Amino acid sequence: MGRLVLHRLAATVPVLLLVTAGVFALLHLTPGDPIDTMMAESADPAVKAHLRRELGLDRPIPVQYLQWMARVVRGDLGRSIRNGEPVIENVSRRLRPSLQLALLAMTVSLLVAFPLGIVSAVRRNTAADRAGTTFALFGICMPNFLLALLLIFVFGVTLRWLPISGYVDPLEEGWDGLRSLVLPACTLGLALAAVITRTLRSSLLEALGEDYVRTARAKGVSEWGVIGGHVLKNAMIPVVTVLGLQLGTLIGGAVITEYVFALPGVGRLVVDAVFARDYPLVQGVILLIAVGFIACNLVVDLLYGWLDPRIRIR
Amino acid sequence: MTSDVTRRTFLQLSAAALAATPALAQTAVTPKKGGTLRVGFYVEAVTMDPHLSGSKVDRQVYHNVYEPLLTLDTKLNVKPGLAESWTQPDPKTLVLKLRRGVRFHDGTAFDAEAAKFNFNRMKTEPKSLRKGEVANIDSVDVVDAATIKINLKRPDASLLATLTDRAGMMVSPKVVAERGAGLERDARGAGTGPFEFVEWVRDSHLVIKRNDSYWNKQGGPYLDRVRYRPIPDDVVKLQSLQAGEIDVMDYVLPRDVAPMKADKRLVVVDVPSLAAFGYQLNHTRPPFNVKALRQAVAYAVDLDQIVKGVWLNVGYPSNGPISPASWAYDRAIPHIKRDLGKAKAKLLEGGQPGGFTFTVITQNIPITAQETEVIQAQLAEAGITMKIQLVDSSTLIASGNAKNFEMISFQWSGRPDPDGNTYQFFKTTPGTSFNWSGLSSEKVDALLERTREVSNQAERRKLYGELTRLLQDELPMLFIVHPIEPKAFSPRVQGYDPIPDGMMRFKDVWLR
Repeated sequence: MGRLVLHRLAATVPVLLLVTAGVFALLHLTPGDPIDTMMAESADPAVKAHLRRELGLDRPIPVQYLQWMARVVRGDLGRSIRNGEPVIENVSRRLRPSLQLALLAMTVSLLVAFPLGIVSAVRRNTAADRAGTTFALFGICMPNFLLALLLIFVFGVTLRWLPISGYVDPLEEGWDGLRSLVLPACTLGLALAAVITRTLRSSLLEALGEDYVRTARAKGVSEWGVIGGHVLKNAMIPVVTVLGLQLGTLIGGAVITEYVFALPGVGRLVVDAVFARDYPLVQGVILLIAVGFIACNLVVDLLYGWLDPRIRIR
Repeated sequence: MTSDVTRRTFLQLSAAALAATPALAQTAVTPKKGGTLRVGFYVEAVTMDPHLSGSKVDRQVYHNVYEPLLTLDTKLNVKPGLAESWTQPDPKTLVLKLRRGVRFHDGTAFDAEAAKFNFNRMKTEPKSLRKGEVANIDSVDVVDAATIKINLKRPDASLLATLTDRAGMMVSPKVVAERGAGLERDARGAGTGPFEFVEWVRDSHLVIKRNDSYWNKQGGPYLDRVRYRPIPDDVVKLQSLQAGEIDVMDYVLPRDVAPMKADKRLVVVDVPSLAAFGYQLNHTRPPFNVKALRQAVAYAVDLDQIVKGVWLNVGYPSNGPISPASWAYDRAIPHIKRDLGKAKAKLLEGGQPGGFTFTVITQNIPITAQETEVIQAQLAEAGITMKIQLVDSSTLIASGNAKNFEMISFQWSGRPDPDGNTYQFFKTTPGTSFNWSGLSSEKVDALLERTREVSNQAERRKLYGELTRLLQDELPMLFIVHPIEPKAFSPRVQGYDPIPDGMMRFKDVWLR
């Protein structure tokens, strides 16, 4: 186990180098300039030149990259050009709502997907299965923003049960915070539930056809005992893979949902930073997201071993 | 002329609508103190330091927390602010009598020394974005505790209007000294305005509260608090207003104006703006280095159709850079009318009888994209092929500054003085400037200088009329529309007085 972790950590170094160099090059090759964008309503070239010099933007791109790398190695991700705050502060402020939203969305998706997936698989080709499959299809096809607007219209505007947009921290104002995250969590969670339902159903069906299931049944284990005790754990590998990949996407890629619900998450931070050509912020956030993805994948790999000892690397 | 009548009728109708809206009917009921006004904005503020600010949304907050030396009324006339009167002994000197007894929210007295400090800060602070606006100020002398004398390098008729916004806003010298860069995040105590800064939770909300010791005892402030919130999605912002989560919405898209006006739960106020939207044409390279070809395009475009079809009449067809909301607007000058016959003749004159092909760069925003598509179709009827390149705003600005375009979209929010809508765009300037078209005309330059030297408004108005006609001939820009910037309110909101600079001043606003 320890060696696996070390192996994986060593492999992250080239990945991170590639990601940062790629992002750096792409950003600087894109037309546009952070100072011009920030000072869109001012045409004073002297002030702009001064700012560029101060921020080191007048140096050659490879030099800028090396300087940035040198700082990163020392643990300094620099400061945002736009708001002057350290990148790490920008990210940590945005990470909290993103994490809360991702976890809540996952909870919603698991609460929906597990019963649906299991019923669909066990009661295969019945009305329940078809209902589950239809839901899954609907969830996969439905664009996020449309679902978000529908939820807002029903629960925010018409019924007025839940706030329409904005973020309140559940760790500070528990109930109000939770309420502010329900609609976005449902938006993301339902789409994810659809994917998980389908994955779970098919992997359950596969596991249900295995010999050990017949053996268990022959030994007189009840149907739900077979599913709970034997099948489910074996059918979990693809589900965990999907969940692991989706967690990263939920944290860094829920841009549209964050935008619609005015949630200050990491996804919007990156997109806004790209539009503002806020180089240090984009680089810093992408680096952290990459690290997050790698960590998620590592956790998934370790979970494999726990779920299925045959996969464990010796 | 028909459209002139339409425009006038439209203005009258909007004026009538304004008078009828509950948001403005403040005569019948006595204003009530208290309550929190919740305002939805499209984006969050960037900085709380008016001398370092470069974004429009910041100003929305500033106009309630800080006060400029001079202010604007609804007709854009310059009125006393922190300065109670002004005189100009000669064209290069401006003497301001400051209001006595005014204190910053931190208790520091506002006086001539404080005003001088602010001007010095705008001129010398390395990150100051006000440098350009105060560049013409040579020095500021303290005459006595309540008088300053501003010495100019050159006569500048637009300076008074400049002092009605960020360049005239006074910040507590004590706060600057103690807090330094911290002022950008925390403006407690820094202003003199009707509201005091309370807190700004980044990415969430910004709160200001009533200044109970405000110097002006006439009218408000009535509201306990104002709470600003960023809601980037227009549909969601609208739904938030309908559901009563916010009371004010900063801008209504043209497509939403008619349905919102029909909604009894909302009050929509048409605020005429100073903005000018159009396209700069690059004079420094083909095809638009040829004047006849610029004119061919202008004659092929149908502004009435664009304003009706794309802007849904939430704006006016534009005859030049100055909006109908400005005193300098000359309604006797019609906008360029579509005339395919003339367009074809100009093509012939420009050596392209069979038409030509060029590319327009514009922002990837629904309404701008629609506008260019309509122009594309209109030009096609004259045999001109326009390709559309959609980009983000950073790319747009970079292309404009580098003069790397043939035609490029240009949207200017406008300034109270017409100088802010003209000089920097049309004056010959080597190097980077907003004169993206590269226009260099001695006649235009001379006129622009003249508008700064003359201080009589009627005379200036005549000069701007002359300039508008000249620009219609030279065409550094294809002038398209002066948009109206409607704002929407909950019917609870009373006493809002729209000023065409689009800034929402909440001093006299109260909640029913």
